[in-house]
Amino acid sequence: MALADVCKLNLGNKSYAFPNPADIDGGFSSLRTELNTSEQFAVPYNFDPVQSFAPFADGAGNDVKIQFNHGTTTLAFKFKDGVIVAVDSRATAGSWIASQTVKKVIEINPYLLGTMAGGAADCSYWERVLAKQCRIYELRNKERISVAAASKLLANIVYNYKGMGLSMGTMICGWDKKGPGLYYVDSDGTRLTNDMFSVGSGSTYAYGVLDSGVRYNMTPKEAYDVAQRAIYHATHRDAYSGGVVNLYHMKETGWVKVSQIDVLDLHYRYAQEKK
Amino acid sequence: MSIMAYNGAAIVAMKGKECVAIASDRRFGIQAQTVGMDFQKIFEMGPHLYIGLPGLATDVQTVAQRLKFRLNLYELKENRQIRPKTLMSVVANLLYERRFGPYFVEPVIAGLDNKTAEPYIAALDLIGCPMATDDFVVSGTCTEQLYGMCESLWQPDMDADALFECISQSLMNAVDRDAVSGWGAVVTLIEKDKVTTRTLKARMD
Amino acid sequence: MAATCVEFATGGFSFENCRRNAILEEKGLKPPKVYKTGTTIVGIVFSDGIILGADTRATEDTIVADKNCSKIHYLAPNIYCCGAGTAADTEKTTQIISSQLELHRLNTDRTVRVCTANRLLKQMLFRYQGHIGAALVLGGVDSTGPHLYSIWPHGSTDVLPYVTMGSGSLAAMSVFESRYTPGISREDGMKLVRDAIAAGIFNDLGSGSNIDLCVITKDKVDYLRPYDEANKKGVRQGKYAYKKGTSCVLTETVRKVEFVVESTQVKVEAMDTV
Repeated sequence: MALADVCKLNLGNKSYAFPNPADIDGGFSSLRTELNTSEQFAVPYNFDPVQSFAPFADGAGNDVKIQFNHGTTTLAFKFKDGVIVAVDSRATAGSWIASQTVKKVIEINPYLLGTMAGGAADCSYWERVLAKQCRIYELRNKERISVAAASKLLANIVYNYKGMGLSMGTMICGWDKKGPGLYYVDSDGTRLTNDMFSVGSGSTYAYGVLDSGVRYNMTPKEAYDVAQRAIYHATHRDAYSGGVVNLYHMKETGWVKVSQIDVLDLHYRYAQEKK
Repeated sequence: MSIMAYNGAAIVAMKGKECVAIASDRRFGIQAQTVGMDFQKIFEMGPHLYIGLPGLATDVQTVAQRLKFRLNLYELKENRQIRPKTLMSVVANLLYERRFGPYFVEPVIAGLDNKTAEPYIAALDLIGCPMATDDFVVSGTCTEQLYGMCESLWQPDMDADALFECISQSLMNAVDRDAVSGWGAVVTLIEKDKVTTRTLKARMD
Repeated sequence: MAATCVEFATGGFSFENCRRNAILEEKGLKPPKVYKTGTTIVGIVFSDGIILGADTRATEDTIVADKNCSKIHYLAPNIYCCGAGTAADTEKTTQIISSQLELHRLNTDRTVRVCTANRLLKQMLFRYQGHIGAALVLGGVDSTGPHLYSIWPHGSTDVLPYVTMGSGSLAAMSVFESRYTPGISREDGMKLVRDAIAAGIFNDLGSGSNIDLCVITKDKVDYLRPYDEANKKGVRQGKYAYKKGTSCVLTETVRKVEFVVESTQVKVEAMDTV
């Protein structure tokens, strides 16, 4: 830890998420845990998080399962001019639409984007932690973190919480020395890289459009259109996706937000095209 | 998940001055997947009489057909059109017969009385408890939203034009906060001399 | 079933959907909530007869489904019955018994007795072992005087001078316990019943809106609906109205309908011969 190094504190090497109570001085949070709060949570003695959080994670036997923002359509794909990221903006709790204006693209830093599917709090919190770690990496090493390393940081963090009810399916997109990068990371600890991903309840519909429309040599304009269409068609068929299409383009110079369009306008525009 | 939310639906009926209106969404879905956007949920039961059936789609169609059957028998026996209040009793009986194994529909009735032209609206629960009101009735997967819209928009003695705007906006703004209903809307406005059916431009997500 | 599409009028309940519904429930699909009265209903014997009282709220889970529903049901010209519990059950049970009482009245050519209504109701409810969720307060006046019963969903009945039922029964009973006196006058009795229902309306979340009363005496029934509005709604100052043309119409079909007048009565007046 950079701050700990500056302070010349010996923190030891704790990688697990919940501190062993025996390690805590005086039986309560010390400076050591204060410094690590972004990855460690203070918990009571003899607390087994996997067992204790089980009802909230799987809802076993009763109705206490936390209803996360599971419904979503997010997608990202690589092409010759970088990475396109497009998402919908609906948040639901059961069939109740909680919001139509959610920002599901998390701007980690000017060269990194994360998408949000699953638990909104889980995604935004852990990607904020990731942002901090990426900044610390830059300060230490005097160069930007690679997309591969950033995504692996996130995957390793969430792996520490496996089975405790975290819910996130995210795509980490960026541009580094090797060019455009695209990784899929989820709360099971999966980390994959490929040229195209779509995550969420509407992903099957989005894949249908992407598979028939995406070519590596397409122009940015064509790429924007196919991304927008993919999200629109997903919102059209999937009850839990909707709102607006937020579209980002990851370039060599960093990301730019291309557009934000209500799917209502897209629907009647596409309907007109068919005539 | 509720059986009523398996296919998704939203229906509302309102009274106006010498007119009534009934409106429904048009979605037929299977849980998250939207399958159709032209599903009929409002059925004609007479020149001035309509019934809306939100609920499990298979039961919507079964109940609509069984009701039409009983209605035809009534008209053959009585040689006259059924009155809205009588239709309500027919529906209540059909549903209460299956008290211990119900159809999953919560019907809404709207019509003008054949003799007096008096507006009539009523809603029933799935085991046939009738509830006739003087203002509006709602049913389906977003009743909370519909109650909220109707309680603030509805007022007594609206003319046909005002009633149309009121019921349309109540329905459309309600379904925009419900994931499993919407995808188009249809409004039937019943007046003494004509029945107007309009489809509305709506959000398709 | 025969080849022709005929519904046989077998009478009684149909269980044709039960198996399917059980399978749906097994899959984790929850059946929807039915209307409940979630009620305060009461009755007392007063000097000249019976006073029944009820609130007017119907609920569907936590939603107020009906703000002014009628819970005092007609059974016979001299007998009325308040219903609490599953709204469809109280509605249909009283309708069925009312029809049987009317047939009984026509057969015997006598005013039906309250104990007959009580027996019919309790036997029907006992037959269904509590699955018909109707809790009733039965009151009426017959040749043997005023009678008041409370009938429970499983079919047991009580005969009492003052009874309360429904979710607001405790609040209402506290009023009766402190103020009821045998031979109470009509005025005082109506005030007492009003206050008992009001106690339910204000202290029980399942009860609300107005107070209905039904005063049954030897040769008169006063059905007072509403007798009192316990809490008047404030008058709304403004109004929300959309301008004509707000809603965007895609298609429109207009159908002219002849309004058929089914019967006309021409009053014959005597010719002016003067």
